[in-house]
Amino acid sequence: MMQNKFTDKKKSIDFSLGNLNLSVDVYKNIFLKELNFIKNINNELFSIRVENKLIPKNKYKIEKVSKNTDDNFTFISIDFSQIFENDFFEGRISFVQKKKNIIDFIFQLSAKWHKDIPKKVLLKFPFLINLHKNKNFLKPGDIFDGKKRINKGVWNLHEYPPSIISDNLGNQCLGFEFYDQFPWQANYNLGMSEAISNENFEKLETEVQLNRELTDIILMKIYISSNGREKIFNLWKENTRQRYDLRKYHDNKNRWIKNNYLQHFMFAYGEEAFDYKKMEFKIIQIIKEGKEFGGYDSILFWHQYPRLGLDESNQWQLYKYLPKNYKTIKKIVDICHSENIKFFIPFKPWDIRSNESLDSHAKSLERFIKETSIDGFFLDTMSSLPDSFLKIKKKFPLFEFCSEGTPREQRQIETLTSSWDQIGDIRRNFKVEINSNFFRFLFPEHPLNLVSRWSVGSDKDSLIKRAAFNGMGMVIWQDIFGCWLPFSIEQKKNIKSLKSTLKKYHKYFYGDNSVPLIKTLSEKIICNEFSNSFSKEKIYSIYNFSSNKIKGRILKLPSAVKEFKQIYGKSANIKIEKKQNNFYLLANLDLDDVMLLYIKFDI
Amino acid sequence: MKSVENKKIFINSNKYVYRVEHLTLEGTCSIDHGPKYVEIKNLFVDKYPVTNKQYLNFLKKTGYFPKDNQRFLEHKPNKSIYDLPVVFVSQKDAAEYAKWAGGRLPTDEEWQYIASGPKYLEWPWGNKFNPTLCNHDGQHLVCVNVYRKGASWCGCEDMAGNCWEWTADIHDDGNHQFALLRGGSYFYAHDHWHVGGGARKNNYHWKLQILNEGMNRAATLGFRCVYDAK
Repeated sequence: MMQNKFTDKKKSIDFSLGNLNLSVDVYKNIFLKELNFIKNINNELFSIRVENKLIPKNKYKIEKVSKNTDDNFTFISIDFSQIFENDFFEGRISFVQKKKNIIDFIFQLSAKWHKDIPKKVLLKFPFLINLHKNKNFLKPGDIFDGKKRINKGVWNLHEYPPSIISDNLGNQCLGFEFYDQFPWQANYNLGMSEAISNENFEKLETEVQLNRELTDIILMKIYISSNGREKIFNLWKENTRQRYDLRKYHDNKNRWIKNNYLQHFMFAYGEEAFDYKKMEFKIIQIIKEGKEFGGYDSILFWHQYPRLGLDESNQWQLYKYLPKNYKTIKKIVDICHSENIKFFIPFKPWDIRSNESLDSHAKSLERFIKETSIDGFFLDTMSSLPDSFLKIKKKFPLFEFCSEGTPREQRQIETLTSSWDQIGDIRRNFKVEINSNFFRFLFPEHPLNLVSRWSVGSDKDSLIKRAAFNGMGMVIWQDIFGCWLPFSIEQKKNIKSLKSTLKKYHKYFYGDNSVPLIKTLSEKIICNEFSNSFSKEKIYSIYNFSSNKIKGRILKLPSAVKEFKQIYGKSANIKIEKKQNNFYLLANLDLDDVMLLYIKFDI
Repeated sequence: MKSVENKKIFINSNKYVYRVEHLTLEGTCSIDHGPKYVEIKNLFVDKYPVTNKQYLNFLKKTGYFPKDNQRFLEHKPNKSIYDLPVVFVSQKDAAEYAKWAGGRLPTDEEWQYIASGPKYLEWPWGNKFNPTLCNHDGQHLVCVNVYRKGASWCGCEDMAGNCWEWTADIHDDGNHQFALLRGGSYFYAHDHWHVGGGARKNNYHWKLQILNEGMNRAATLGFRCVYDAK
């Protein structure tokens, strides 16, 4: 390994590390001057407060600046020290490159405390505040609507998409990620992920516990792109996914859950599901009505809640009390199977009694599968798959699990291979927003069914649009535990159309090369792109969130177009324009409208 | 040992302000919860919930046996539990008994008046909860006359805890059928997603969504009767 020591007293040091160029002023303090295309940053990399006293800016002593390189990676580090009152601090700032276009920024700190008694230390990162203030800085899921940054993306997992800063043309971009899968570990990216995604970044002060050894305080990944922010997303996606073991998604090619576009929530206690005169379930009627939505792919039978707890009967015993006990379920399952519909029953983790275990529930489930031929287990209130249930997959390889909550952590995502994307809260004035679900794009192999149980009227319209915009299926849930909230005829038609589109273009919607929130040519339009690697075909989901009709250029396309057609939504009069070897998509898009567009490129 | 005798207690007609609270977790309980002025006519009411002995006598005398008998008297009542409230009866089973006995099930309004009286007591015995006056959070049902000091203003016992009690009506909101249960029970399930357990206040009802009879019967669900008086 080669090592260079920078001992000269230059005012600033310019580094070049892969595609990252930065200039750091180390003369009096440790200032970041420039970072690639971002000039005149001129802000401290960090500031430290000890027991509410700010260490003066000119007190740092640069001990060493070094660059090390070998065949596999390169790093540059700046070692510094500081005596403040009776305490001695040492720190190191490093830039490490192991992969092309990805740089790790590492900030470490140690303290030798006077009389070995630690003090309260708070850190700020002023250079990030300056980046954050830049008009071209977009937090994860943000877009610039012409006046301000607004959020049009959501993610609900312990992976944090990078914030992105770009040049004025939007080509040169840097992404900043604070990886933080376990958000309570000491001295590690504390609060950074949340702070950089919220407005209060300037207020963030991170508390750290220091001792004699250098401890990691910040590990920020810098992603570098000269091809726009879509490339940053792909770098982050690739880098994130490679940590994951996704075999459970790909080992079995017959995973029917991939085609579970519409799941019906069959609430047992109501006219929709139960014939009070004949005292039997109306499964044939339900299936028939399901055709108005385009046909249910699965049915989730629900009768335990809100009934459990009236007496000591547990969730399995309640099946015995149905008409003709288990045979009722078996009969319903057989009818569903004859219509190519899969059947779920739910598991209630909150009902586990003191004399029960997850293993005993797994055994009950196994018996139930044998008796009734059900296809799946829905994990109520859960977002993870217990190992006890995972073993079921070995005996019944086609059996599937689907959870109410989208899994958030790595192990959960690896083992639990489908879930709901549930939004909404009855306690607040909840408005269904049409935005991009980043989980959907990070793990396209994980089917999500969108649901907002309490939404009615225009919110139900928005829910359908949101499903279309994200290219995902839905849960058709109309009887909310005894509150009847049906879809309208028009809404049913829209869902039918969406399902048909998702089914026909499945390989693109669930492709591995999809990107949320690609750059558009209108500040009031957002767009997701769905595609497979090496494919000439793409699907674009486009949403006009303005209060006016938008007419004209919507997207700049990557190349000439061989074929195109609108595949969902009101007709938007799509045209392709060629100008000076550039290709543009022209549309006439109504306000608050989502359309889906198929394009085959002539590459 | 002599069994408990279930006396009838007379209730004078009166008007009172009906106002009820409910907890349905999610979903709705689509009836008018008041406040509204309601009239209670002269009636008699069972001092206790109907006991196993009384119900077995009814079966013996009438030969009643429900067509859908899932969970019907699943606890297999016998002499040793004669004085416990009869449970594992559906609303229909309860109504059949009441009819045979010359009465009927109380309406939701009547039940509340019998429990709370003209002074609008919150609990049968007064305004403060006292777990020693009812079978609350217990392990099992107890005899109907164990908590004599927990009697309501008119002398009815076991109106809070021990077993839930059916009221008369099936409510239909156009899409669902449900009945209202009163009084709570001895059983207290551990989670907030479960049906709220234990003894319940006089002005509380729980919405039981009706399904087949097997689902309508439970180990904690019994009834008492009222009898119209001239």
